[in-house]
Amino acid sequence: MNCEVCQLKELEVEHFEIREVLRCILHTIVFHRALGLVRPKDVDLELFEITYVQCGDVELEKKIDEKIDQFISWVEKHPNKKSQICLSFYEVKSKQPSWFTNKTERLYWEQWYANLNVTQQPKQHSSKSHLTKVVVDPGESANEERSSRRAMVEASLREVLFQIIKFVNEKKDHVPPISEGVIYFPYEITMPRFRVRNGHDQEDAPQRASNHAQLIIGLGKLIQLG
Amino acid sequence: MEMDRESGKLEQIVSQFRSKILHVILNSRVPSLHHHYQQQEPLSLSRVRKSDKWFNLVLGDRAAALENLNFSLRNLLDPMIIDIILVHHSSCSSSVDNLYTPSAAVGSPSDETVIERWVVQYDCARVNATPNGADTSSSYKKTYKKSIILLRSLFAQMRLLPAYRIFRQLSSLSQTYNFDLVYKVSSFSHPFSREEEGAMKEYIFVPVEAFPGRLCVSVTYRTSLSEFNLEPLVSLPSNIITDYVGSPTTDPIRSFPSSEKGFQATSFSIRGARPPSPSPFQRPHSWSSGFHKGLPLMQNQSLAGSPPAYRTSPKPYDVVSPQSDIYGNRIRNRLPTLQQATAYDEYQLSPPFSASASPSPPAYLSGANPVVAHHCSETAPVTIPFPLTGRNSFYLSLNSSDPSRHSLPPLSPRSSKHDASSQESPSGIRSYRKLEALRAGESPSGLSINYSAHKMVRDTKDDSGRFSGLLSSSGSPRIGFSRSSSRLSFQDDMDDCEFSCPFDVDDIDVSDSPASQNVEGKKALDFTAQSVPVGKKSQDAAVGMLVHMLRTAPPLRQDPSCYSTHSSKTVGYEGGVGTASGFFMPCKTADALEELKSYREMRDLLLSKSGTRVVRKEEM
Repeated sequence: MNCEVCQLKELEVEHFEIREVLRCILHTIVFHRALGLVRPKDVDLELFEITYVQCGDVELEKKIDEKIDQFISWVEKHPNKKSQICLSFYEVKSKQPSWFTNKTERLYWEQWYANLNVTQQPKQHSSKSHLTKVVVDPGESANEERSSRRAMVEASLREVLFQIIKFVNEKKDHVPPISEGVIYFPYEITMPRFRVRNGHDQEDAPQRASNHAQLIIGLGKLIQLG
Repeated sequence: MEMDRESGKLEQIVSQFRSKILHVILNSRVPSLHHHYQQQEPLSLSRVRKSDKWFNLVLGDRAAALENLNFSLRNLLDPMIIDIILVHHSSCSSSVDNLYTPSAAVGSPSDETVIERWVVQYDCARVNATPNGADTSSSYKKTYKKSIILLRSLFAQMRLLPAYRIFRQLSSLSQTYNFDLVYKVSSFSHPFSREEEGAMKEYIFVPVEAFPGRLCVSVTYRTSLSEFNLEPLVSLPSNIITDYVGSPTTDPIRSFPSSEKGFQATSFSIRGARPPSPSPFQRPHSWSSGFHKGLPLMQNQSLAGSPPAYRTSPKPYDVVSPQSDIYGNRIRNRLPTLQQATAYDEYQLSPPFSASASPSPPAYLSGANPVVAHHCSETAPVTIPFPLTGRNSFYLSLNSSDPSRHSLPPLSPRSSKHDASSQESPSGIRSYRKLEALRAGESPSGLSINYSAHKMVRDTKDDSGRFSGLLSSSGSPRIGFSRSSSRLSFQDDMDDCEFSCPFDVDDIDVSDSPASQNVEGKKALDFTAQSVPVGKKSQDAAVGMLVHMLRTAPPLRQDPSCYSTHSSKTVGYEGGVGTASGFFMPCKTADALEELKSYREMRDLLLSKSGTRVVRKEEM
């Protein structure tokens, strides 16, 4: 089984926009991969004139919000850094028992990378950062600049959503069969740039699939060839 | 066999796919269907319909229109073309104006623009290689899975296209616009012009393999809709009426907002003249009925009154030009009150307000103005004159030149002490009676003479909004204004009034029982014994006396000479007396004899005093 990877267009967002942007992207992806019985729910973004669709699953919403919170907290610790969040779909396969391992393995069949470039410092920042820029009383020109920037972000976000739809439409063969009673495929949300290695956060991680995912992909290909 | 079963499944998938897509598209583009969708109950998997389970996308009940469309497009090989059309109503007419001028709406110009065209087609032109048996069984499953994915992406994309924003605006219940979103479903379509094509873009969804053909979905949409300037019309408030003036049952003596508050209150011309364009529509009052009826005056007027939507042509009865930014002021613009009370069928909606800008004083404030100027008022108190011309007249007239007779109290169940023309009755006996015998010609329906009765003093309140308890404690007959509905009724407009004669009393009649009859009969005798000469009494008292006399008259004897009346017209009421007496329970013979004796005694007394003068009772 191939693992299809989709790198979404990079978005330049401000700190307070992270949550809405990520919610929009992640829920849109999951909605296209929640092939079980759902009642779609329209959600209007507050910061942008965009409506996206959710599955209406409370647990899913909760889990996505948790991951977004983790992402935001990391961004606060590492300001002005390009960040990435990965949504992966996998199948659980029971691994052939061997003397190496007896665990089940996950076969990732699709990965989505949302790339964000957070430009503004958060209000609550760590003491390390000395690049805080606090806008107290923006003038009229600042407001115009802000609104134009907001429009650009909205247009970019719309492009990202179209990109998701296009990708979903073009690649359907790799999607596993739908299981009875299952609403959405197993998934995980990770932040590969910040994957812990040897107990430390890895900064400036390469923009590629994580090593773990790559390993799985490789093994999957070997099995197919075998 | 296996192939047939599989092909049947595929056909079913294709058919349901078309229905589902139609459902998704119309739910996301047609406001009325969207409202229908929004009213659905929350998702409960146990109660999901079969149609919702198709493609695992719960959309709720299908509107009847969709069912009909599905039926009409049964041929799966025909393309299903769904046009989403934006209809722009010109400034001369709007969807709301059509309520007032349906005839005008027929020929009203409107621009229609196809902003989206969805094409769903099962393409069998390309015949794929026949799959083997093993592949066939899984082919429909794959087709089904891919169809689900396609529907998901279509559902999401519908929210990203430019038409969605217009759809959301038009779906707003709090605003009305001069645009409408309609749809057209057919199996053929007129191609776009070159100009239209230049403004549109096409997106083709990746076809889904559905052996022997494939499912193709594409959309051609306008990339920009900014040229369509959606102007919100005045939004009707759903619940709050800021200048609510109360119902007719409330205190009529209340000051209406003055003009300095920016409030211009008028009423419509009852002569059929059109209201000025600045007053676009009527505020829906709680008591008004048929709000959208009878307003041909509103032709060419936008309900909203927004500046571009209507013309502000000056008219002689213009009061105030509207303010487009304040909803309240706009709806308060009215015509000044007019002087004549005529039929107001068409204008039964707007209550009169204090026409501070009008030259004439408000009718309800003028006790000297007997004519009700605002016949379409439903809250303003009306002073109804009671010009009993002469002692014989029971005819009630609203039009009288004698103001002094018209200073009747305002029509309120509470304001029963304001009657300047009231005369104290010596007896203080009060009773309510339904006296059709006293009907003098055609009287304004809705009016009734209520004779206060000692037993009915407690009935000062009336839930029905009538003023049967209006009459003061003076005991003299008053003209009560009784209305079954919350509209004023006048002598010229009796369409809906339930009273047919002025003496109709409200549903309060406690003197039906024989016991009450006897008691009242005795009291009437007492009254007559103490009666003063007729000529010295007021007409009110005279009528009261007459009623008492008639009431206490023995039913068995139809001889009018037994009754003491105060008017020569009572002769003409003999039949009526008889009829009236029919309303009374028959007295006992003993009572009648006693009464006869008393009459004889009185006659003898009078004869003795006057000598040769003979007073005939029937002449009085």
